[in-house]
Amino acid sequence: MGTVAVIELLASQSASSFPVLNAMIIVPVIGALVVVLLPNSRPEMMRPIGAVFASIAAAMSLYVMAQFSSHDAGFQFESIQSWIPALGISWHVGIDGISLWLVVLTGLITPIVLLAVDPHHDPKSYTAWLLLLQAGSFGAFLALDLFLFFVMFEIVLVPMYMLIGGWGYEDRRYAATKFFIYTMAGSALMLVAIVSVATLSAGEQGITFDVIELAQRQALSTNTARLCFLAFALAFVIKVPIVPVHTWLPDAHTQAPTAGSVVLAAVMLKLGTYGLLRFGLYLFPEASVWSAPTLATLGVIGVIYGAIVATMQKDLKRLVAYSSVAHMGFIVLGIFAFTTQSLEGGILQMVNHGLSTGALFLLVGMLYERRKTRAIDELSGIQSAAPIFAGFFTIVMLSSIGVPGLNGFVGEFLVLIGSYETRRWWTIIAATGVILAALYLLWAYQRVFHGEPTATDEATPDLTLREGLILAPFIAGIIFLGIYPKPLLDRIEPAVDGLIAHIENHSDYERPSPAAPVIVDHDQLSGDDH
Amino acid sequence: MVELVWLIPALPLIGFVVLLLAGKLLGEPRAGWIATTAAGASFLVTLMVFVGLLGRDSHSGGRSYELILFDWLPSGSLQVEAGFLVDPLSVTMALFVTGVGALIHLYSVGYMHGDPKYSKFFLYLNLFLFSMLMLVFGNNLVVTFLGWEGVGACSYLLISFWHHRDSAATAGKKAFVTNRVGDWGFLVATFAIWSALGTVTYTEIASSPAMTAATGTAVSLLLFVAAAGKSAQLPLYVWLPDAMEGPTPVSAMVHAATMVTSGVYLLVRMNNVLTDDALIVIAVVGAATALFAALCAVAQHDIKKVLAYSTISQLGFMFLAIGSGAYVAAIFHVITHAFFKALLFLGSGSVIHGMGDEQDMRKMGALRLAMPITGATFIVGWLAIAGVPPFSGFWSKDEILLAAWEQENIGPLLWVIGLITALLTAYYMSRQVILVFFGDQRWDEDAHPHESSWTMTTPLCVLAGAAIVGGAINLPLVKDWLVLEHFLEPIFNDPHHFSSGTTTKVALAVISVCAALAGISLAVLSWLTRRISTDRLEPDFLENAMYVDSTYARVVDGIGTSSFQGAADIDERFVDGTVNTVGKLTMRLGQLIRPAQSGYIRNYAVGVALGALVIVAFLTWGLLL
Amino acid sequence: MRSLSQSVFVGPSIDWWALLPQMILLGAALLILLVSALAPQRTSGGFSTVTTLCAAVTAYIVALGLWSDVQTEGPSASIASALGVDGFSIFFTILILTGLVATALIAHSYLEREGIDPPEFHALLLCSAAGAIVMASANDLIVMFLGLEALSIGLYVMIAMHARRPEARESAMKYFVLGAFSSTFLLYGIALIYGSTGSTNLVHVRDYLGAVVFRDQHLLMAGMALLLVGFSFKVAAAPFHFWAPDVYQGAPSPVTGWMASIAKAAGFAAFLRVFFGAFGAHNADWSPIVAVLAFLTLVIGAVMAILQTDVKRMLAFSSISHAGYVLVAVQSTADAGTSAALFYLFTYTFMVLGSFAIIGAMGADGEQPLARYAGLGRSRPVLAMAFTILLLAQAGIPLTSGFVGKFQVIAAAVGHRSYLLAAVAMLSAVIGAFMYLRIVMTMYVVDEGTEGPSPTLHWTVAIVLIGTVGFTLLVGIVPQFLIEFAEDAVPVLIRG
Repeated sequence: MGTVAVIELLASQSASSFPVLNAMIIVPVIGALVVVLLPNSRPEMMRPIGAVFASIAAAMSLYVMAQFSSHDAGFQFESIQSWIPALGISWHVGIDGISLWLVVLTGLITPIVLLAVDPHHDPKSYTAWLLLLQAGSFGAFLALDLFLFFVMFEIVLVPMYMLIGGWGYEDRRYAATKFFIYTMAGSALMLVAIVSVATLSAGEQGITFDVIELAQRQALSTNTARLCFLAFALAFVIKVPIVPVHTWLPDAHTQAPTAGSVVLAAVMLKLGTYGLLRFGLYLFPEASVWSAPTLATLGVIGVIYGAIVATMQKDLKRLVAYSSVAHMGFIVLGIFAFTTQSLEGGILQMVNHGLSTGALFLLVGMLYERRKTRAIDELSGIQSAAPIFAGFFTIVMLSSIGVPGLNGFVGEFLVLIGSYETRRWWTIIAATGVILAALYLLWAYQRVFHGEPTATDEATPDLTLREGLILAPFIAGIIFLGIYPKPLLDRIEPAVDGLIAHIENHSDYERPSPAAPVIVDHDQLSGDDH
Repeated sequence: MVELVWLIPALPLIGFVVLLLAGKLLGEPRAGWIATTAAGASFLVTLMVFVGLLGRDSHSGGRSYELILFDWLPSGSLQVEAGFLVDPLSVTMALFVTGVGALIHLYSVGYMHGDPKYSKFFLYLNLFLFSMLMLVFGNNLVVTFLGWEGVGACSYLLISFWHHRDSAATAGKKAFVTNRVGDWGFLVATFAIWSALGTVTYTEIASSPAMTAATGTAVSLLLFVAAAGKSAQLPLYVWLPDAMEGPTPVSAMVHAATMVTSGVYLLVRMNNVLTDDALIVIAVVGAATALFAALCAVAQHDIKKVLAYSTISQLGFMFLAIGSGAYVAAIFHVITHAFFKALLFLGSGSVIHGMGDEQDMRKMGALRLAMPITGATFIVGWLAIAGVPPFSGFWSKDEILLAAWEQENIGPLLWVIGLITALLTAYYMSRQVILVFFGDQRWDEDAHPHESSWTMTTPLCVLAGAAIVGGAINLPLVKDWLVLEHFLEPIFNDPHHFSSGTTTKVALAVISVCAALAGISLAVLSWLTRRISTDRLEPDFLENAMYVDSTYARVVDGIGTSSFQGAADIDERFVDGTVNTVGKLTMRLGQLIRPAQSGYIRNYAVGVALGALVIVAFLTWGLLL
Repeated sequence: MRSLSQSVFVGPSIDWWALLPQMILLGAALLILLVSALAPQRTSGGFSTVTTLCAAVTAYIVALGLWSDVQTEGPSASIASALGVDGFSIFFTILILTGLVATALIAHSYLEREGIDPPEFHALLLCSAAGAIVMASANDLIVMFLGLEALSIGLYVMIAMHARRPEARESAMKYFVLGAFSSTFLLYGIALIYGSTGSTNLVHVRDYLGAVVFRDQHLLMAGMALLLVGFSFKVAAAPFHFWAPDVYQGAPSPVTGWMASIAKAAGFAAFLRVFFGAFGAHNADWSPIVAVLAFLTLVIGAVMAILQTDVKRMLAFSSISHAGYVLVAVQSTADAGTSAALFYLFTYTFMVLGSFAIIGAMGADGEQPLARYAGLGRSRPVLAMAFTILLLAQAGIPLTSGFVGKFQVIAAAVGHRSYLLAAVAMLSAVIGAFMYLRIVMTMYVVDEGTEGPSPTLHWTVAIVLIGTVGFTLLVGIVPQFLIEFAEDAVPVLIRG
């Protein structure tokens, strides 16, 4: 499939500047093809070669990050090629502050997990699927055409399905199918909505699936727009996932191979929140404002409910999965609070969650490699046997708990302080999530790492250098973002402000203007007596 | 020299990093010395900054210096810098934090001797010191929160330092989670302040117009929730007694001298937003905590548990002071308390060390002979906390009682509670001293109590000295002797002044001294000379801390766990069950229509015929209608 | 004398050029039969296969020529406008010829393996292909009926040809009886149309309906209803689908493929031509019924499919629900809908032929238990991947032709404001996906050490697979050309 696409794009690209975004999508596909064509006699070559291609894509994403202008609210590195003119569909990609960091995250995560996790069998197809997953995720984050987005949004299911099914654990059949069907069911109505939006806002300008164009037209009647928004929201809410449509996640996370869990948590869940931002708020401002109370409520419920259920899990991976539900709840709250801080915090939190939860899954995976179990009650006193491992776990855990100085805090804090402006009580309740987060993670940590180790626990080997190097980037990111998130925030802010302005223009929403600090000179006041 | 402030937290941080990278290599005792050096150096820098601050003009904000390192969380109109605020309050705090901290580092060099995780202990200790200093020097609420959570995390790590002990692990977790309840208050307060004032920076908050009464009170109470969590006030105190699972230097530093007082610091820092309604609540809770904890301390047998409850009680005193508007008195007591309570904890540590990890006071006695220095210094601490003049504790406590007396609404009541607490304090501390150092020796033969090494005794002596003269920094009666009060004045918009005449002051002072003496003599009669039978003096009700904690435990293990489990079950059975049911229903639908696929031509023909009939009927008769 | 000379019968002018494709096929069929009859010893399968292929290719070339004619000179009609030569008819001619080629290739190795006489098979195949083409291009109901019978009769025999297997004969019998049964509906419908409009020629019918206002439409409506029934049976739309699963399962795989693709396509061709061309004025009447049929077909096809454990039956039911999608497009009564339907049929033909090529290769018929495919992903990764792609395409996963087809169908439905039906279509796609995933899962997810099957793949089948999979992906990624092709192929009725 790749080659044709390559020919297509390169043919249409011969002119103008180098289409780095297209290349970013294509390179992993080529990589997948190359890997597939490699001789089976050299299984050990598959992952390194795949990693090379994934890294090239990652390098491109870094290049984009470097070249990204932090003053531009619009889309950058845009490139449009006509694709299916008969249906008004074009291959339109572009990047802005909202998608930039998710793209970078996608770029960096894939090569790491590719090198980090040994699939144990069929490295060829394993590598190929991971590469296709990277390509699809890039496409979904970069797409500015509804058709293209849907294609990417849907196609990423296949590699993940194959990864879970092919390299997962005991219950993988059930989990993989559930994952595929559940999310596909969610996006089924979205396709209808996509077509409806395009058709109904065609007017005399003719039909188009271009997101920017459609967002500008705003041609739908209020009720139609709300219906379409609901169809979109359903798809994204399942992907996020928000309670009560979250139950595919624990199964998928638990049964997926480590690499699958990491990518699922770090990248694929973000498709949901990203979709809500890019297609929910942007295409349907009025409808988003209209539905905000409900969705914010669901987000808060997710925060509390996810944490409570996580507390009682007996399987480490399930616990982390439910913690994802809680963390993503914060993001949803932030998105539907419509303030600069809450949206920036939400986007930052997407990245942070990717780092912390991704690292947690890696660690749990390493623990599984050592002990062949994920059951909390089969482990104890690991810290005595593997202090360094425990140290890494502690750092990641504290970041996930949201301890300031680590990345988890900055996102949550911005989300909450921003949401407090528009969704006071939601925020106050959501803030209790910080208590619960400490509860479920520390309790799990105590049961697994503290206490008297048994003989088998004593035998648990400590972190190897290789594993340390794998985790290093995550730890570095966790600390850096916790201390100096400014570079991210600076690039996110223009896009977010633009989005909020767009919402204000097309709905009765007005962003609250927080009290500017008024400095009172007390000597003056006291001097007024006489 | 004020510009050097960044060095103060930086030094412990460096120590932390060094130990993180090379701790194992350095090993004992080098790791300990590096950490101690870092702490000591940081103390010296603090002194320099202090001197520099004194050099500045005390009026028109001259003594408030902000050092901005970088933008931490710039987002729209929210501007959170990573910045330091050097002003009398932060420097005062920093002085004793680094000072006492350094001494405890030194003490630990000896105390932790031979521990397999020796270097890790100092690693945590340095990290704690760093966080504590961030808390103190932060120029806005968020940076303070950074330190606030940091000390919480370190306290967690240090309490569960001997993590193979389940009790230690649980205590650490309990401390963290309970503190998080307070942190919730801190966060929401921050949000409210930002949305009301548009800033989170202290200097701007201080100079902003007052918030509406409702918001103000709400914010004040939320801040008090935060303080109650960190400073172990009712009803969130439960983690502190358990925190004694940590090594004794930790109890001395984290859970007596520094961290637990950060709640007091926070409220003093935010004094300009606290409303009178909130202050009354704070005063009442403070007084209640003081009395409650004192009562609990009366019946403890564990040498550290006594001190733990006494700490809670003393913290209650400090909040009583804040509630009465006497912020200076609160800070004054924070300092003196830091001296004598650290001294007492380290002394108890020295005892435990000498007794071979024996903590039960019933198995001690007459130790003053075995460990003279420890004994002597401990006695100094005892006199200080008991409120015997001229020891430091007397002055600070007396000022608090005076402030309570002057509280306009329920002043006398608060004063009485304070007085009773003072009496009890004198009593239970005397009891401890007698049980540990006097009377006949009750330890088993295999215990060989001995004096500790110089690294441990030196801090004791220094602290003892501080505990004796510490009161000098704020002597009443003569206006110019109120050094601390004058020094701290710039941080208050309207400084608090005592209204009572000298006679009242003297009278109250005399009464409190009498109370102290009464408490001591009671203890002497009952525990030393055995004139009063002691078997009724340790009721189970008090020994078990009035069953508050155990009730909590029962609730958490009972309703808490079961409801959480219930939620988990609902998630599995109902929420996920519904999903699977949908799938099953689809299958059912199929099975429902399956019989039609019978395989018999006749049935199929019937199907065709029926379908045809319906269509024809619809199309033809559809027209008629 | 004069009177005699005056009454000389003058037949209609026959545009042989337009008939050439059918003629070629029939000629090839005769040739095969003659050679096999006269040849001293039993003729090899190779000969008939090659002949069929040659015939198909020549017809192909002719059809392309006709296409260019239509593009330049516009559509025409011949033989007293009994046969239309328009984009529509040629679109289907090409489609049918493609199916013919594929089926011939699949059959080649299959017949050898199962010991079926090639000449008869290919002759019948060619005949039914010719019939299908007639069906697609007929402008007259009677001619259309002839085509339909030619197609069906060929099928009846081909299904039964599997001499050794009773279930083959059983399913042939079923198909025959029910087919005859439904043909009566069709015939009676034609009669009623004739009765109410005075002609069986679609052009006349259209003009008549356009010109005349009925006082009493019952006759016409009944006729339309019966035609609807007849066509619905041919395309296996619920509730006229019952025969399909049994027959599909019993028939030899190549024949099943032929039925599922070409027979269905031809049925829809007639359907579209009659109802768009002739009854376009009355679409308000028939569109709702088609919508209901679509609904039933989608749902029944999907929910029955997930219950099956036999791969052939699974695909049988899936092909039923695919008919449902085409009906969704049909009920939109717009050119967009027609082209969507054409696109869908064209792409579906490739998917289904590829799938049945694999099924045929996987071994003996009648029984195709899912278990037989367990571990195919290990033992034959490429074959498994090809099957996976074809299945995912039928599930409508993006980057396959199946998705583009579904997309256009949904677009057509939305254009017709039938949102509910669109939603139902998408949801039934989800249900269907569950079934396709079951097959994929069986091929890939096996416990360690299970030895997967390794069927022998004849090169002819390999060619078919490469072609179908390649086309499915190609159209999935760059569908523009096919969309244009379908748009140019909307039926037009021209008086010759």
